[in-house]
Amino acid sequence: MSSSTLQRIAAGDSAALRDCIDQYGALVWSIARRLSRTPADAEDATQEIFLDIWRSAARFDASQGSDKVFIAMIARRRLIDRLRKTSAEPPMDPLEYVDAVSWTEASASSETAMEAEQATRALAELRPEQRQVLELGLLHGMSQSEIAAKLQMPLGTVKSFMRRGLIKVREYMNIEAEGVSSSV
Amino acid sequence: MSETPPRSQPDEALIDLLVKRVTEGLSSAEQRELDVLDSAAASAYLRDLEKAAAALTVAASSGAEPLPAGLAQRLARCADEHVSALATANVVGLDAARSTRQDATAESREAAPPHVHSRSGTYGWLAAAACFLLAVYAWMRSPPQTQAPNEVIVPSLPATAAVQPPPAAPTPSEERAAMLAQSNTVKVTLNGTKDPAGKGVTGDAVWDPVTQKGFLHFVGLASNDPSSSQYQIWIFDAARDSRYPVDGGVFDVPATADDVVIPINAALAVSKVAAFAVTVEKPGGVVVSARQHVVVLGAAS
Repeated sequence: MSSSTLQRIAAGDSAALRDCIDQYGALVWSIARRLSRTPADAEDATQEIFLDIWRSAARFDASQGSDKVFIAMIARRRLIDRLRKTSAEPPMDPLEYVDAVSWTEASASSETAMEAEQATRALAELRPEQRQVLELGLLHGMSQSEIAAKLQMPLGTVKSFMRRGLIKVREYMNIEAEGVSSSV
Repeated sequence: MSETPPRSQPDEALIDLLVKRVTEGLSSAEQRELDVLDSAAASAYLRDLEKAAAALTVAASSGAEPLPAGLAQRLARCADEHVSALATANVVGLDAARSTRQDATAESREAAPPHVHSRSGTYGWLAAAACFLLAVYAWMRSPPQTQAPNEVIVPSLPATAAVQPPPAAPTPSEERAAMLAQSNTVKVTLNGTKDPAGKGVTGDAVWDPVTQKGFLHFVGLASNDPSSSQYQIWIFDAARDSRYPVDGGVFDVPATADDVVIPINAALAVSKVAAFAVTVEKPGGVVVSARQHVVVLGAAS
């Protein structure tokens, strides 16, 4: 079985660092753009994220999930930390991508990681307003308070939607993962 | 759809904190609250939520536009610098230790602290740093150390490093003394923590930001058995994430030594030294310390 790019980085293959940029640059850049205050911030954040990825490559375990989701986890952590440090204003153009960015249909793209397809299927079972809360929070970096103001919804309801939505996706992914592992 | 499989689940208040941590981050007060409520179940739950959020993020990133050309070039340069920094570390003799660490990394993958623990670990460093400030006060009130350092202990990285330097070459003690006399070097007071191996330890660090070289000097650091554990140096760089200090190499302290000088072998370039720490790790050192045995700390002023 061939090694993934992350496994090659962990093994000390120096060429794998550039391959990592080629393979995951667009993914990291798309996340950084949405969760940064300015384009310059997004560029700095992207560089920090790749450093984090290279340093963390040895912790990637293919049996626990896909490389894309591992990288997205690292990217989100870094970007949220950066946002917290300069939390006076929301990320850039928070609603600019509302129409342009949405969750793909399950199995719509062969490049989408399996967990992403599972998550998308779980989303389909949520109510539209729950999906909207998750979308504004996860894809546009809006805080729960900002979402409450934007949607004119009580903060408690936003919290509840966010909590239930993520729990639903988490449950769906765990159940599907167990189904896959038990069928292998 | 079937019910969720039985699994230990945090209460609703804790889940709200975890969800907020995953979606927008926590304030200092909320993080402290999470640290108090922290548990193995919460850590596992947090990772699941992070994974769910990441999976949704990936799902929304299908067909994302490519990196801007300028940024791609910048990242490529960054990759090359990263590779050469690692290569430099290998040249100075860290390769043997690093290969050991890569093996160790696979072992420690499961044992690696989940994110909640990692955050707690960060606060552990900060708490230790706070203790350090108190220790600095006590250190400043105590009489200055007048005893001259004894013979230098050479770090135990490669076997060849134990060879005595040629007679004409300066010893690490002499190099350290020369570095201390320079005005452009960073001087840091070191103190032992409450860890048994660090109790009563005093010392200092000197670092030259131009040559990227430096020395740690300890009095009273307990001897170690290299076959079971080694000391590892960590350099906190103000320009880097404090969760990932730069590896400064591993070293040993023989039973006969009370006063030692240790060269620092930074694995990566350090922009601005913020602090030094020494931990006890498995032989060969680790890539990321679990920070269970922080024995010495010192913050740059």
